Amino acid sequence: MISSIFWIVPLSALLALLFAWIFYRNMKALDEGTDRMKEIALYVREGAMAYIKRQYTVVGKVFAILVVILTILAYLGVQNPFVPIAFLTGGFFSGLCGYLGMKTATFASNRTAWAASKSLNKGLQVALRSGAVMGLVVVGFGLIDIAIWFFILNNWIFTPEHMQNGLHFMGLTFVHTGTTDHQKLIEITAIMLTFGMGASTQALFARVGGGIFTKAADVGADLVGKVEAGIPEDDPRNPATIADNVGDNVGDVAGMGADLYESYAGSILATAALGAALPAIAGDLQMKAVIAPMIVSAIGILLSIAGVYMVRTKESATPKNLLNALLLGTGGSSALILVAIAVLASTGWITWGVFGSVVAGLTAGVIIGQSTEYFTSDGYKPTQGIAKQAQQGPATVIIEGMAVGMLSTWVPVLTIVAGIVAAFGFAGGFSNFAMGVYGIGFAAVGMLSTLGITLATDAFGPIADNAGGNAEMAELPKEVRERTDALDGLGNTTAATGKGFAIGSAALTALALMAAYMEEVRLWLGRLADQAPEKFKQIGDYLFYSSSVPAVQDGQTAVHLTSATIRDFAAAYDLSLFNPVLLGGIFIGAMMAFLFSSMSMKAVGRAAGKMVDEVRRQFREIPGIMEGTGKPEYAKCVEISTRGAQKEMMVPSLLAIAVPMVVGIVFGVPGVIGLLAGGMTTGFTLACMLNNSGGAWDNAKKYIERGNLGGKKSEAHKASVVGDTVGDPFKDTSGPSLNILIKLMSMVSVVMAGITVAVHLF
Amino acid sequence: MAIYIYLTSAPEALVASMLPPEGFGMYLSTGTKKLNKGQSIFFEVDLGKIEYLIDLEGLNKRCVAKEDGSPKSSVYLSVYKVLEILPLDSLKSLYLTTDNGHILELKKSTYDKSKEVFDALWLYQELCPVTPMVASGLPPSVFLKRLTDGSTPIVLPKLFFVDLKLGELATDPLRGSAEDLPYTNLGHLRDCLEILRGEYEKHMKTVQRIFSGLLLYRTIKSGFYVGAKDEMIFYRYPTMKELEDLNYEFFRAI
Repeated sequence: MISSIFWIVPLSALLALLFAWIFYRNMKALDEGTDRMKEIALYVREGAMAYIKRQYTVVGKVFAILVVILTILAYLGVQNPFVPIAFLTGGFFSGLCGYLGMKTATFASNRTAWAASKSLNKGLQVALRSGAVMGLVVVGFGLIDIAIWFFILNNWIFTPEHMQNGLHFMGLTFVHTGTTDHQKLIEITAIMLTFGMGASTQALFARVGGGIFTKAADVGADLVGKVEAGIPEDDPRNPATIADNVGDNVGDVAGMGADLYESYAGSILATAALGAALPAIAGDLQMKAVIAPMIVSAIGILLSIAGVYMVRTKESATPKNLLNALLLGTGGSSALILVAIAVLASTGWITWGVFGSVVAGLTAGVIIGQSTEYFTSDGYKPTQGIAKQAQQGPATVIIEGMAVGMLSTWVPVLTIVAGIVAAFGFAGGFSNFAMGVYGIGFAAVGMLSTLGITLATDAFGPIADNAGGNAEMAELPKEVRERTDALDGLGNTTAATGKGFAIGSAALTALALMAAYMEEVRLWLGRLADQAPEKFKQIGDYLFYSSSVPAVQDGQTAVHLTSATIRDFAAAYDLSLFNPVLLGGIFIGAMMAFLFSSMSMKAVGRAAGKMVDEVRRQFREIPGIMEGTGKPEYAKCVEISTRGAQKEMMVPSLLAIAVPMVVGIVFGVPGVIGLLAGGMTTGFTLACMLNNSGGAWDNAKKYIERGNLGGKKSEAHKASVVGDTVGDPFKDTSGPSLNILIKLMSMVSVVMAGITVAVHLF
Repeated sequence: MAIYIYLTSAPEALVASMLPPEGFGMYLSTGTKKLNKGQSIFFEVDLGKIEYLIDLEGLNKRCVAKEDGSPKSSVYLSVYKVLEILPLDSLKSLYLTTDNGHILELKKSTYDKSKEVFDALWLYQELCPVTPMVASGLPPSVFLKRLTDGSTPIVLPKLFFVDLKLGELATDPLRGSAEDLPYTNLGHLRDCLEILRGEYEKHMKTVQRIFSGLLLYRTIKSGFYVGAKDEMIFYRYPTMKELEDLNYEFFRAI
C-alpha cells in the first residue's frame, strides 16, 4: 500500500512542469527587440533545432538497435522484460528535457539582451527564469517518470494475484510466480533503475555530440575569425559565429540538462533500490525506505521554485549584487531542504543518520563548487599564475595549466572521500553496511534535491552568453553590452560551480549505482538459482539459494539470498585486489577514462579542421564579407558542425556502452566491479583536472584581456590564447562527458547484470 | 564624389581616395575582396595646401569611380620622403585603425611645453620616416628638436612619433614593476633605461631597431607628435575611460 504522502511526488513534479510552462510563457510574451536581434536569434534557433533534429534521428536509430538487443536478452531469460520499455522512456524524457531547455534558451537570448537594455536586473530575471524552465522540466519530468513507473508497477503489475500466480505475456515473464511482498519492492526498484540506462545513453550522446559541436564551432570561429581575420568575438562578419552561439545551446544547455537529468533520476532510483534491499526491514518500513528519496526530491522541487522567486535585486544592481542574489536563491533552497529533511527525520520517515548523510552530500557539493571557483577564477592565485606564465610563452602556459588542473583535484577528491565516509558513517554503515550505502545514495539525492534552481543558474550562463552575442551582433549600445557582459561573467561563475556540482553528484551517484549493481546481482542469482534443477547457484565456495537449503560439502557455505550481505558476495566472487580479474577490470576502467577523453578531443580536432576550412573559404570567396556588405553563409557552418558532431560522437559513445558488456561477459562480476571502480576513480579525477585546467586557461586569457600583463595582442595574450584553445575541448567536451561515462558504465552494468551473472568466461 | 588625400605612415605614402576617412581606414585594415588585416595610422591631408606639390590633372583622371559606381579606394601619388615635403599645416586629423577596421579620429591639440617633465624617462616609438623604438631622458618637444635640428650627427627632416607608457620603469628602471607592460625583452628595456639614468650626457638609447608593425594602442601615454625643430603638432590620445565613452567599438577592439 502506497502511503498518502507519496502523492506529493507526482504533484510537485506537475507543479514543476506548470511553473516551467509559466516561466516559458512569460518569457515568450516579452519584447524580442529590434529586427536585427530577431534575425540573429532566428539563425541561432534554426541552427539549434536543425542540430537537435539530426541528433535525435541518429540517437533514435541507436536506441532502436539497443531495444532489439535488450528484447532478445529478455527472451533469453537474462534480462527483465520491462527493461526495453523503461530504457525507451528514460531516453525519451531525457531527450525531451534537452529539447525544451534548448528551445527556451534560443527564444530567451534576444529577449534577455533586450531586457538588459532596460536594466541589469531585468536581464537577470529573464535569463534566470528562462534557465529555470530547463531546471524545472528536468526535475519535473524526472520525478513524474519515476512516480508513474512506481505507481503502475506497484498497483497494476505487482498485484497480489500476479505475485501469487505470476504474470506472463508473449512468452515473457513479467512477474515471477510466488513473489513475496519483500521481493516486490526489490523487483520494482530494480526495474525502475534500468530506465536510467536510457537516460544515460541519451545524455552521453547529448554531451559528446553537443561538446564536439560547440568546440568545433568555437575553435573554427576563433582560429580564423579572431586570430587570422582579427575580428572580435561574436562579430557578425564571422561565418562561424552563429554556429558558435548554437553550440552554447546544444552543448551547455541540452548537454548539461540531459547529464543532470540522468544524475537526478539515477540517484533517486539507486537509493530507492538500496532502500528496498535494506536487510531486516519489511512492510511499511521498506516502503518508506523506497519512497523517502522521492519525497525529499519532491520537497526539493517546491523549494527550488521558491528559490527562483528569492532571486531579485535592485534595478541599479552591480555584478556583485547579482551574484549575491543568485547565491541567495541557491543557498536559501539548500538551507530550506535541510530543514525539510530534518522534519522528515523527526517524524520517523528517515533516520537522523540519513539526515547526516544528506548534510554530508550537500556540504561536499558546496566545497567542490567553491574549490572549482578558486582554481578557475582569475580572482585567485592559480589562474593568475597561469597568466603570469604566459609572459614566458605558450609552452609554460600549457605546463602551468596542466599543473593547476592536476593540483586542483586534491580538494574534490578529498571532499568526496570525506563525503562518502561521512555519509556512510552517519547512516550507520560501520555497523550496517547496507544502511551505509543507502546513506551514500541519500547524500547524492540531497545534493541534487534542489537541482531545479541549481540547474537554472547553470542554464543561465549560456543564455547570458548568447544574449551578449546577440547584443554584439545587433550592435546594441555600449550600456547594453556592458550589462550583457556582466551577466555573462556571472554565468561563467555559476557554470564553474555547476560543473563541480555535476561531477560531485556523478561520483556519489556512480557509487550508489555500484552498490545497486550488487543488488541486481543478488536478484539475478535468485532467479538463476530458482531456474536451476538443484535450486541453488554456486559462486566459488558459496551456494546461494532462495528456496530450499542445499547440501554443502567441506569448505562450502550455503547462504540464503535474502539475507546475503555484500561481504558474502565479495567473498564468493573474490572481490579483492588480489583477484587478477578484478585488478584487470580496474585497469580497463582507468584506461576507459583516458581513451574516451582522447577520442572526444580528437573528434573536436577533426570537426574543427573542417570548420576552419569552411570559414577560410567564405572569407576568400564571399565579396565584401569583411566590410559587412557581403553576408556570410552561417547555415553552412552549422551544417558542418552538426555533421561532424553526429559522425564523431558515435564511436566514443558506443564504446562506453559496449565495454561494460564485454567486460561482464569476459571477466564476470569481479571484472565489472573493477571496471566501475577504476572508471569512477580515474574518471572523477580526470574530469576535475580537465574541467579545471580548461576553466583556468580560459580565465587566464580573460585576465590578460582586461589589461593585465600587457593586455590584448601582447605576447602574453597570444600565449594565453593557445592555452584557451587547448583548454576548450578539455572543459567543454571531454571533462563534462566523463560525468556521464562513469554513470553510463554503471548503468549498463546494472542492466546487463543478468547476462554477466549467467554467462562469463572467467 | 569628393577626393580625399591621405598620408599613411607605413608605407610612407601619399594616397588619394574617394573614401572618407572611416571607409579608407576600413579599407586599409581589412581590404575588400581578399582576406586582409592589419592596423593602420594615417593623416588626412588638406588638398588645398598641397596642390602645388601634385599633378592635379593626373589625379582627376586616375581617381575616378569604378565601372559599377563604387568609389575608387586608393591611388598612390607618392611614396618615400613624403612627410618631409608636406607642410605641417596641411596635416588635418590623425586616424588610427584597429586590425579589424574600427577607427579613431584624433584632432590636433594644444601642447604646453612648459609642463614637460625632465626628471623622468620616456619611451618613444618613431613611426615615420624611420621606425626604431627609443628610450630617452628627453621630453617630447626636446626629443623632436634634438633629432631634427642638426645638433647631432643623425638628422631627420621631420619626425612622427608616439610616446609609450613606462609605468614604474619611468622612475625606477631596475626595480619598478613591469608586470603590465607588454613589451618584448623587458630586461633589455630596463638596461636601456638604466643606462640613460646613469649617464648624464646620454639622452637616447635605441631599444628596438625595427618597428614590429603593431602599435599597441593601450600603451600610448600622451599622444602622437609630428614636426621638426621647434614646430610640433600634438594629437592627444584619450585616457582609456575617455576612450570607452568616446568610441566604444575602438575601445573594445584594442
